[in-house]
Amino acid sequence: MSAALVVVLQTLLLVALAPLWNGVVGALRARFQMRRGAPVLQRYRDLWKTLGKETVLSDGASALARFAPYAVLGAAVAIGTWTPVLTTAPGLGFAGDLVMTVALLAAMRVLLALLALEAGTPFGGMAASRHLMISALAEPALMLAVFTLAIGARSTDLARISAAVVATPTAWISPSHLLALTAMWIVVIAETGRVPVDNPATHLELTMVHEGLTLDVSGGHLALLEWAAAIRQLVLLTLVANLFLPWGIALVPTPAALGVALLAWLGKLLLFAVVVAVTESSTARMRLFRIPEFLGMAFLLALLALTSDSLLR
Amino acid sequence: MLLAGPDGLLLAAAVWGLAAATLLAALAGLVPRPPQVLRHALPRALAALACASAAVLGALALAGGTPSRIEWWPGVPGEPFTLAVDALSAPFLLLFGLVGASSFAAHAPHGTSAGARARLALHAAFALALLAVFTARHALLFLVAWEGTTLTSAALVAHDLGSARARSATWVYLALSQLGAALVAFALISLSSRAGSFRFGDLASAFAALPPREASLLAWLFTAGFAIKLGLVPAHVWLPLAHPEAPGPVSAMLSGVMVKAGLYGLLRFAWQLAGAPPEHWGTVLMALGVASALAGALYAAIEADAKRLLAYSTLKHTGVLALATGLAATLAANGQSAIAGIALAAALYHAIGHGLAKSLAFLSVAEATHAAGSRNLEALGGLARRLPRLAAAALAATLALCALPPLSCFAGEWLTFQSLMLGYSSGAGQLRLLAPFAGAGLALASALAVAAMVKLYGIGFLGRARSAPAEAAADVLRPLGATLLALAALPLAWGLGAPLTFVALRAPLAALLPGFDAATLASGAGLALVPAGLGASSVSPLAVALLIALFALLARLVLRGARGPGRALRRAPSWSCGAPLGERMQYSALGFAKPLRLVFEPVLRVRGEVEAVGEGSHVFARRVRYRGAMPAVFENLFYQPFVQAVLWTSQQARRLQAGSLHLYLAYLLATLVALLLWAR
Repeated sequence: MSAALVVVLQTLLLVALAPLWNGVVGALRARFQMRRGAPVLQRYRDLWKTLGKETVLSDGASALARFAPYAVLGAAVAIGTWTPVLTTAPGLGFAGDLVMTVALLAAMRVLLALLALEAGTPFGGMAASRHLMISALAEPALMLAVFTLAIGARSTDLARISAAVVATPTAWISPSHLLALTAMWIVVIAETGRVPVDNPATHLELTMVHEGLTLDVSGGHLALLEWAAAIRQLVLLTLVANLFLPWGIALVPTPAALGVALLAWLGKLLLFAVVVAVTESSTARMRLFRIPEFLGMAFLLALLALTSDSLLR
Repeated sequence: MLLAGPDGLLLAAAVWGLAAATLLAALAGLVPRPPQVLRHALPRALAALACASAAVLGALALAGGTPSRIEWWPGVPGEPFTLAVDALSAPFLLLFGLVGASSFAAHAPHGTSAGARARLALHAAFALALLAVFTARHALLFLVAWEGTTLTSAALVAHDLGSARARSATWVYLALSQLGAALVAFALISLSSRAGSFRFGDLASAFAALPPREASLLAWLFTAGFAIKLGLVPAHVWLPLAHPEAPGPVSAMLSGVMVKAGLYGLLRFAWQLAGAPPEHWGTVLMALGVASALAGALYAAIEADAKRLLAYSTLKHTGVLALATGLAATLAANGQSAIAGIALAAALYHAIGHGLAKSLAFLSVAEATHAAGSRNLEALGGLARRLPRLAAAALAATLALCALPPLSCFAGEWLTFQSLMLGYSSGAGQLRLLAPFAGAGLALASALAVAAMVKLYGIGFLGRARSAPAEAAADVLRPLGATLLALAALPLAWGLGAPLTFVALRAPLAALLPGFDAATLASGAGLALVPAGLGASSVSPLAVALLIALFALLARLVLRGARGPGRALRRAPSWSCGAPLGERMQYSALGFAKPLRLVFEPVLRVRGEVEAVGEGSHVFARRVRYRGAMPAVFENLFYQPFVQAVLWTSQQARRLQAGSLHLYLAYLLATLVALLLWAR
């Protein structure tokens, strides 16, 4: 299959399936809690309904509020174009790599935090302040965790890292790989705002971080931001799936290999959904100032992964 | 006077333009009631044009133009004074020209007429001295120019003499700068006396003939002197004090260009003149760089003064410059010259990228805070609605300083990460140990810098006005706002064109690392950055910008399709749970930074106490008193013992001065006897 077609297919998969993963986690959690819960596709209906609604801006909001939601979604989809979802064949890898991914995640965060400060309400400031604290600690851990793999591949290109991990099947049981995987998982939990760092189902404003950021955004703009958050989450999960546990990914994009890769990817995502649903049903959210310790652990684990890699190489 | 090369005219135009602007602004006061054109508009235009011609000269020299030169004989014995542009000074000259021209274009005549004239004259003199620093080829001339930048900028830092803060900042600035200048002067003059000449070319051959210990001592003297100018920990304390006190356009040049003169000095004297530096030089620079980056980013994140926050952020970026330079030296000393080239390219690219973004930030933030009457973020807010052009320029600068793609600070940090990774993989020297920590430090500093910049723009420009003057801030300076908005194109272009700039930086990199071709860093028709043959990482700021724009456009179409015909946007008051929304209900800058302050409490050692003053019960307080203090960690750790020692010594020395003539004569006698005994 041609490279361009593969890029389009991968990006479409990420954009289209992003809300579904949240729906699956919600349904699984409902089962664990002996509820029936909302249907798996409910997220799509919510998204469609919100998309059609009128957007209300705060009367104090500047021009930033008008373009930021589009830029946030644009950045989220742009990251998706070079994320290896099904294959490690080179696509848009020349445009973006690991550092570009981290930088665009930061760009989304900056725009979201600025958007939250637009309305001049206390909740926006609170959420922005906390969000930046959490991500200031999560970002270095993310960078280090993936760098551990990048050093093995001698490249920060995501597809090449994935291919390099596939090429050395014993690498994944090395201590540095497992340590980095643990660190990465903690970071993904923190970045996507899930228990125990944040509670996506909360309705109490004082405890919200991610929901608080979008509290003053409404209508179509809100739908764009929610969608962008879902895409970002799926991209991060795909990085865990295809960089740290890249079994099944297609090295050559033939239709058969892509089919296998699709099944493997969906299987891994389902596994992650189960893990997250179990975590969310069995643990409570942490107190805000316990989070730095949690993320500090991820940072140290990632640093340990990097240094143990140098010892064992 | 001798002009050599066709570009010599451009250099002469830059020098004479700045000199004429200085004189015109200074002397316009002699004319009774000078018209605005004479005392402000004309000198400003002259200076801006002079800087622009310096930028053209730098660009031509990068493109491989003939080296230009001006020589004149000043009347002192020895060689004639020489100004010349070569490969190494070209990128710095380009930066100087661009930032200088922007700063003059945005130099607004605030305050009294005499004060504005003095500031403009000093600003032009400062620019002239900086130009001479980057182009001098004569040791004495270099020292004079170096001193000139310090003195003119110190006068500008102290321009608000009524402010005690400005006076003490000037004092610290002068003390540390003179220390640095003394180290550089000692090294340069002792080298000149060895060479018997002041020409840089002769100095290099004299250096090569020095015994190794002496050579290493001189190299370290140069390093220490220029590291002070670069603002590396622990000699950084002057930078966050002095930079914010100067007027906005001068702060822009201080942070945008002058700190880079420290980098220029390091590269010119400790690297090019002294020959390739040893590995431990690089290691020390890397460690200091990471420490500076972390300290700068952390203090920026908790600072509440808008301009000082920007100065701390400068510290973060000069830390990155030192890290990249040190890394390059370490790699070059271990024979990894291809990877060293990437690190050095990162340093040169970032020097300019940060200069463009930081100068825009200082220019726009200084104008905005001037309009709102305060530099304190707690008294700002809501400026984005009231000063839309200034705010847009400030937003562009803020986003660039967060090192976000596709703006001007991203590619430099990307290359630094690449060279750290490749250096680690190559296992050169101590990099196995250093690189992970340097990478972790850089990542943490970048994330903290993002928090600082969001605070600057989010608290300062968004939300609702926190004070009456901020509420009344008016967009009186319309042309200025438009100028600044146009200047936002510079960091954007530098970021989008990153791959092309590496082709341009070919000559300076080859001058420092013979045999390295920077053009290998760009490939794919100048689209992407690829450290060729070393790995296969690549990014393309331009492609990413186009992708984001494409998807944002698609999102817009989807939104329009989903909504159907109907009103797109409506404005309404913010909702605050039913209560009327006051500006005091917003997060303050202090509160915004509190989570980070608590997390980094062990480093910052913030002390705070809350005291509830009530009658009878401490639960129902009448008033709450809050006291907080943040100790100056570096001052206490590094400078306090030194100051104490100096004071103690001078106390002891006072005993010698008893005020009695007989005692002084006895000193003379004792000295004479001692000398006679010694000379016997």
